[in-house]
Amino acid sequence: MPNNQNILMPIMSIVIETTDLSREYKSYQKPEGVMNSIKGIWNREYTSKIALDKTTLQIESGKIIGLVGANGAGKTTLLKILSGLVTPTSGDARVLGYRPWERKNDFLRQISILLGQKNQLWWDISPVDSYALLARIYDLDLNKTRLRIKDLAEMLQCSHVLNTQLRRLSLGERMKMEIIGALLHEPKILFLDEPTIGLDIVAQENIRNFLASYVKEKEPTVILTSHYMDDIATLADRLLLISKGNIVYQGTVNEFVANSNKELAQDDKVDFEEVIRRFLETESRIR
Amino acid sequence: MFKASFIADLEYRANFFTRILTDVFWYIAQIATFEVLYQHTQKIGDWDVHQMRVFLGLLFVIDAFYMIIIHENLDNISEKVRKGDLDLLLAKPINSQFMISLQKANTALIGNLTLGTSWLFYSLAGLPDFHYIKLLWLLMLIPCSLVVIYAMRFIFSATAVIFTRSENLQFLWWQVYRIGMRPDSMYNPIFKWIILTVIPVGVIVSIPARALLNPPNYYYIFWPLILVPILLYLTHRFWTFALKYYSSASS
Amino acid sequence: MKKSFAVFWKRNLAFAKLAVVSNLEYRLNYFIDVLVQPILTTGIEILLWFAVFKGAQSTTIAGFGREFYLSYALWSAFFARIASSWMYEFKMIEEVSSGTINSLIVRPMGFYEYYLSQLMGYKFITTLISMIVPVIAAYYYDLPTHFSRIPLAILLCFYYLILVHTISFLVSCAAFHFTKITSFTVAKNLLLWILTGELFPLDLIPGVWRERLIAMPFSSGVFLPVGYITGRVELPLVINGFISVTFALIILNLLGAWWWKKGLDSYAGTGA
Repeated sequence: MPNNQNILMPIMSIVIETTDLSREYKSYQKPEGVMNSIKGIWNREYTSKIALDKTTLQIESGKIIGLVGANGAGKTTLLKILSGLVTPTSGDARVLGYRPWERKNDFLRQISILLGQKNQLWWDISPVDSYALLARIYDLDLNKTRLRIKDLAEMLQCSHVLNTQLRRLSLGERMKMEIIGALLHEPKILFLDEPTIGLDIVAQENIRNFLASYVKEKEPTVILTSHYMDDIATLADRLLLISKGNIVYQGTVNEFVANSNKELAQDDKVDFEEVIRRFLETESRIR
Repeated sequence: MFKASFIADLEYRANFFTRILTDVFWYIAQIATFEVLYQHTQKIGDWDVHQMRVFLGLLFVIDAFYMIIIHENLDNISEKVRKGDLDLLLAKPINSQFMISLQKANTALIGNLTLGTSWLFYSLAGLPDFHYIKLLWLLMLIPCSLVVIYAMRFIFSATAVIFTRSENLQFLWWQVYRIGMRPDSMYNPIFKWIILTVIPVGVIVSIPARALLNPPNYYYIFWPLILVPILLYLTHRFWTFALKYYSSASS
Repeated sequence: MKKSFAVFWKRNLAFAKLAVVSNLEYRLNYFIDVLVQPILTTGIEILLWFAVFKGAQSTTIAGFGREFYLSYALWSAFFARIASSWMYEFKMIEEVSSGTINSLIVRPMGFYEYYLSQLMGYKFITTLISMIVPVIAAYYYDLPTHFSRIPLAILLCFYYLILVHTISFLVSCAAFHFTKITSFTVAKNLLLWILTGELFPLDLIPGVWRERLIAMPFSSGVFLPVGYITGRVELPLVINGFISVTFALIILNLLGAWWWKKGLDSYAGTGA
């Protein structure tokens, strides 16, 4: 394996770095009634909401980062800024040395983003056709890509549906297809936004196991968000807890659980899922 | 209900203006076509340019009414079928045809009605010795025209219940409607007979226009009164027929 | 540089193929779109021209006989089909307003090129299939047609398509700021309906407006190519068409590049 050379290199380099990264959203607030609607044609009041507030962080290469927070806490915004989808209002970020929102092709070729709720492959054609198109877009060798698809499909046990039109596949099969599509160009950084959402327990576990073994083999840097704490607990090396646009905790999962248990000063040990649940609960009360 | 629609329309400010703009361009296209053609000829069918302007005025007014009251509802039928919303309607103890046809009024288009009416009066002013008392015919004929458009469009739209996808038939409707957007006297006698009876698009604008422009011909003027109940009965039959083939959306 | 062009070319060819494959997936829709629709339009327009000539005192209008107008009606319906973009413009707007554009902008390719190539692929296959009809009809009914002029006419129409696409691109940039922008597409395409010369030959317009409308780049969509085929327009005007489209392309693309950047900066990455 040629990649092993890199893996054994002792120096851990920083691949993602942000300083005071912020983003606010504006939205139109319409007061009730016909008159106000008419007024709103030329005169509108906007309110702004801070989605991400002066976030500074560093992420080393080859790590799996679990991003956890309540709905609307800012994790998706952070993910979208780092992958170049969204431009920050202020602050700076470097991912693999690039500013993500400039969307340089050389940068985009090295990353991949998987959005659990969205289709990224083409709806009307079969996955293999989609992959052929992706190979063109990422300028990959067609034969090597074909082999890679075969390997990945075998790992995910879904070789039999590769030639079926995407829209005829079930949600679980589609997710597997999306994962293959996201890994086709061997991204150095992988953003996974809710990769197991809406799937049944067996499918969730399949995908989790696959991701674990894939990461072990290829060592990409992974940023993972999920509402299923099992995903985070089994996959993540490090935990980033985000609340109301701020990072409130950085560290390993085990440390986090240990810390929380210490704070609780109780005899009963709680597991990770329980700690997170309590965290989200207190958060929602403060709001 | 009317008010709620209005607010929803204003919500999308770009939409509100472009809808009016759209129809202004559409009016211009219709007017320009005939104005340009009349630069090169005296008569098209039986009518000169002044009479053609009246015809177009009536077309705009009738079309505006149709767009406000009916169009969006019928346009949404196939969407409702695909998303399974029709199920909700069928489950209610009301006449489903009535409900699906008159759910929502598109008030954003009231501006169009104003524009169309203005053009109609402008064109009437251009006619020598026009008796405005003739406008009373419109009180009877415009509702008839609306029923005719409604019935034809409804039958095209209701095919969505049978086939689920029917964009092509919607498109076919548009082409048929376009035939009615030109005076019936343009067409040769057989074709003219067809569009006044079998596919009655010719009734929609040409008959009210004749009532205003030509000496009264009672065969033309009272034909819509006979046609309307026949068409309404047919739409009712077709709707019941279509519902038999209805298989509600899978998910 | 050379390599990156090869990459660019290969992927765009793949986009064009994607358009062909995914459109032929819905065969019935496709054939109605490219064959039935223009045939019906031709039929309705031809009825109008029959009526116009029946009422006219002379046998010619603006120096051309009835057959010239029938020929114009025939060819213009098919060229107009090629020279307008509804489906892809709607798709582009939909991508921006629904947020599915996310999956495009994280890939090493441009939104502009992605849809331009698809449009071209789609129009290419449309041309191949639909042009058979007017060629056969013009030949069979012996309508005034310069068959040797067809290639250049189609070339001009395709050049104009790049402009059409650029306008679609601008409209989809507007979708970053406004919801329901699709109604603007309808308004714009109706305006183009007149400006391209689909409704009637632009040289029938009286006065100064005739020169002005013909000099605009939009006449390159229908009037110039169809006029060229049916003998109303000669080569110098066709060349003018190429030039005015070029000017429009430069201006609108600069505007588009600026507006796109602005749109993406304010973009909130809608939808989860």
